[in-house]
Amino acid sequence: MRNSRTALFLCVVLAAACKKQTASQEQPSGGTAPAGQTVAAPGADTIRVGATLPLTGAEARTGGFYKEGYELAFEEATKNGGVDVGGKKMAVQLTLLDDTSTQATAASLADRLINSDKVNFLLGTYATNLVEAQSVVAEQNQIPYVNGGGAATAIYKRGYKWVFGLLAPVELLAESIMKWIDTQQKAGKLPKPATIALLWENTSHGKDFRKGVTEFADKSKNYKVTVDESFELNGKDFSALLGKVKAANTDLFLADAHLPDYITMQRQYVTAGMCHKIQSYGARGSEKQAAESLTPKNVQYILSAVWWSNQLSSKSPEAKRFVDLFKAKYGGRAPEWYQALGYETVRALFAAITQAGSLDRDAVRQKLAALKIPSLLPGGELTFPAEFGQQSHAPFVVQQNLPDGTSPIVAPPDAATGTGIAPNPGCAK
Amino acid sequence: MDRFAELVIASVLLAGLYATMAYGLGLIYGVLRIVNLNHGGMIMAGAYAGWYLHSEYGIDPYLSLLPVAAVSFLLGIAMYRGLVHRLPRGAAGGVQSLLLLFGVWLVMRNVAYLLFTGNDQTLRTSYSTRAAVLAGALVSVNRVAVFAVALATLIILHILLTRTYLGKAIRAVAQNPDSCTLVGIRVERIYALTFGLGTALAAIAGLLGATLFPFNPSFGAGELLKSFVVVVLGGLGSVAGTAIAALILAAVEVFAILFIPAYLTAAVGFVLLVLVLVLRPGGLFGQRVLG
Amino acid sequence: MKLPLPPWVRPRALIALLATCAALALGPLLHSDVYIHNLLTLTFIGIAAALAWNWLGGYLGQVSFGHAAMFGLGGFVAAKAEISMGMPMVFAWCFGGVIAGLYALVWGHPTLRLRGPYFSIATIGVGEATRLVGTYWDWLTGGSSGTSLPMHPNLKFTLYWYALALAAVAMAASYALRRSSLGLALLAIKSDVDAASDVGVSSTRLQDLVLFLSGAMIGVCGASYGSYFSYIEPGDMFGFDRSISWVLMGVIGGIGTIAGPALGAIIFVLLRQYLIASYPQLYLGLYGILLVLVILFEPLGLTGLSLRVLRRARPDLIVSGSET
Repeated sequence: MRNSRTALFLCVVLAAACKKQTASQEQPSGGTAPAGQTVAAPGADTIRVGATLPLTGAEARTGGFYKEGYELAFEEATKNGGVDVGGKKMAVQLTLLDDTSTQATAASLADRLINSDKVNFLLGTYATNLVEAQSVVAEQNQIPYVNGGGAATAIYKRGYKWVFGLLAPVELLAESIMKWIDTQQKAGKLPKPATIALLWENTSHGKDFRKGVTEFADKSKNYKVTVDESFELNGKDFSALLGKVKAANTDLFLADAHLPDYITMQRQYVTAGMCHKIQSYGARGSEKQAAESLTPKNVQYILSAVWWSNQLSSKSPEAKRFVDLFKAKYGGRAPEWYQALGYETVRALFAAITQAGSLDRDAVRQKLAALKIPSLLPGGELTFPAEFGQQSHAPFVVQQNLPDGTSPIVAPPDAATGTGIAPNPGCAK
Repeated sequence: MDRFAELVIASVLLAGLYATMAYGLGLIYGVLRIVNLNHGGMIMAGAYAGWYLHSEYGIDPYLSLLPVAAVSFLLGIAMYRGLVHRLPRGAAGGVQSLLLLFGVWLVMRNVAYLLFTGNDQTLRTSYSTRAAVLAGALVSVNRVAVFAVALATLIILHILLTRTYLGKAIRAVAQNPDSCTLVGIRVERIYALTFGLGTALAAIAGLLGATLFPFNPSFGAGELLKSFVVVVLGGLGSVAGTAIAALILAAVEVFAILFIPAYLTAAVGFVLLVLVLVLRPGGLFGQRVLG
Repeated sequence: MKLPLPPWVRPRALIALLATCAALALGPLLHSDVYIHNLLTLTFIGIAAALAWNWLGGYLGQVSFGHAAMFGLGGFVAAKAEISMGMPMVFAWCFGGVIAGLYALVWGHPTLRLRGPYFSIATIGVGEATRLVGTYWDWLTGGSSGTSLPMHPNLKFTLYWYALALAAVAMAASYALRRSSLGLALLAIKSDVDAASDVGVSSTRLQDLVLFLSGAMIGVCGASYGSYFSYIEPGDMFGFDRSISWVLMGVIGGIGTIAGPALGAIIFVLLRQYLIASYPQLYLGLYGILLVLVILFEPLGLTGLSLRVLRRARPDLIVSGSET
């Protein structure tokens, strides 16, 4: 008698589980994902674009920024009546799924978008490691894949034909930072030779950063890397690592970290009472979010090099147009580079579709490969040069956080909106 | 020398947290002979509880320690009565109860995920980044506070186990449940109380951990492993043994940075765990129980 | 015509296996849905892995929470062999499997002396340590950036039949390990190692054998998984979530039964794929609930459940061999 009761119980639970699944299928717009932005009922004249973003998990915040960029671009296209394809306006539809910041999920969701949801094109996810996993699926299925979230050269060195990247390589990022530091050293503001503590996350992103810094240091001979350590992405406790850096007593602190790690590490850095003449976290540093969670005082003088800054709008009309558009949609909030890159990624894809005049995958791929459009990126132009494996090589802007809460661009000189300060006057001694 | 002192202080401070974390696991194993894989889940729950009370109601995490511990204690008793109680204990039910509690852990992780999403959270207080000079080394005020609370918890536990009737009963049940029944100790009740106590300790450790590290629903997995290392090293139940074992683990982790790449220091604990298990296969969790 | 079969092979089981394989092998000719095709490939790999886990976890009662160590090792060794040494794919798989099996022996030979929960705890340590070292070991794994395998046109499509063959081999091996005289020895070890040794079962050697087979099979699964995705990275291959997925498949499908884990794998893979787009990560919670229910009410999992239902309907059909 007990047995049958158990069996019945199990059946009920299973049935409940199944019921839940069907429910979730019926209302695909429930919750954050899948946030299908339906413009019109998908039909023959709809361009279906698939994408995943890390909407939960470690990269959730950044993923949310990219989502804002994507949605803004789709909204704009819809307002314009759709995307021009061979003289006919076609509606656009974005199927956006949450890849939970994990590579396996990013890859299997891409497979699903292509083969089950039958999207025409793919947009990339954010963070190098996820793009690395996902771009393989795009290449396997021969579907154009435009991403604004994967920067490491490893992605583009594989000779893939269908993968296009808007982020210039991290090596260049490291070089831009080192160049600015070099001008300060030449001006006599930094010791010569200067010692460097180099910390890099153990990913392609971090390895590229390390390569950029060490190559620059080797060439100039005025720098010496005395601490060279990697750390785990999404680490919790960096205190041991920082202890080592502290003991080495270097002049410069150059790290490469993603946003969550930057915040965690900087918090422990401050708590450990550390201070360096120059401090940088690679692309991170100027984020509002970091200043909020660490207090502005604790992120002072951090140097960062990024792919875009909203201060570019004073010089570039494309950037200004985007900033205005963004502020109008999001209540006056100023965009950071994440949203700009997300927006520009969509724009690049749409431009190529219009140029191709059809939804044929190969035609669009060819147009992407030959793309040359005015862009909000620094340098004002977007291309996917074949010699760099279809990865954009747009220049970086170097920013520094100042005590007044601003982060002016300090390099390159033609984009500069302020002057940087070195060495960090906040350090005692 | 300064560097050495700094590392020693770092180890000691870390050891406090490790000891609290591990003690609950060891206590439950010692008395019930059950490996509580949900220990990680309770650590995570403690972290979220502290964070929630702080961010929603502005309650200082150190003030919420007691209520969180009390609720977790009741939760632990409920878990024992509702689930664990139904399985055989000891060698016969070893793997079964391990799997059962593992299932509970998965469910808890998912509940946390549904309630708070999978995003990393941090518990920030006004003194989070404050530091003080201690014996010539600069240390985080928060870490010292965590250590103090951990130490106090362990001392209270020690007194509870050695000086009170309940503590004596717990130790007696750990040694021989059958004769306890004969002398009129209500063994089932002791089991439930012990399970509650262990669960509460896990939640306290989680709350303390949350003041130091960012966390998400999978928080607790690494902490569970570290607890295993400490329990395996230190034997069961003895507060002093646990403290020494925690100190060994913390020191090995902290000092490893001098010899191996920083990245690999996290692996040291796991290697230690396997080595100790293999080299001391008989008396893994110590022969002397709660001595 | 009478086939010279060993006495422990029941013709009916053999026919059932062959017929299922034949039907599945011809399946793709009937439909052209790439998504389902790929999903089935993944399911086959999952089945093979879950069965291999069960040889250790079910037949010997040594529940491993660290099998991802061999999965990852097999995957990366095979990838390395394919890329650097130009080894043909199937040889590379086998090579990866053998290395993975040997690695299992390295840590498993000493730890298998531990019983029950101790062994499980040790495997957690092994799994996590392997993951960290694997992530750090750039030469083999490519570090966190992982390894990209050469991409052949159509390979992903043809992998379906490779994966099917893999699952069939694992199924046959599961049957052989259980029903042959070896199976009896394993059962003896599971119930009482010391007693088994007393009656002349060489428990150390047999346990090592099963561990090697289990590790090697999981290694081959890792290698085929690598070929399927063309890109593997250590965090995923060595991940703790991967290790626990086999525990869940095994226990929920029916730990220690011949075909139970395969059933568990099918449900697990499908449920995961189904929920991942709308409720990522929820599948683990659902599986957690199932795990609790199975442990409390039905130790033989879904297999036990279906046997009970079957027993009520047709008591004469019950196979005694499926019970522990």
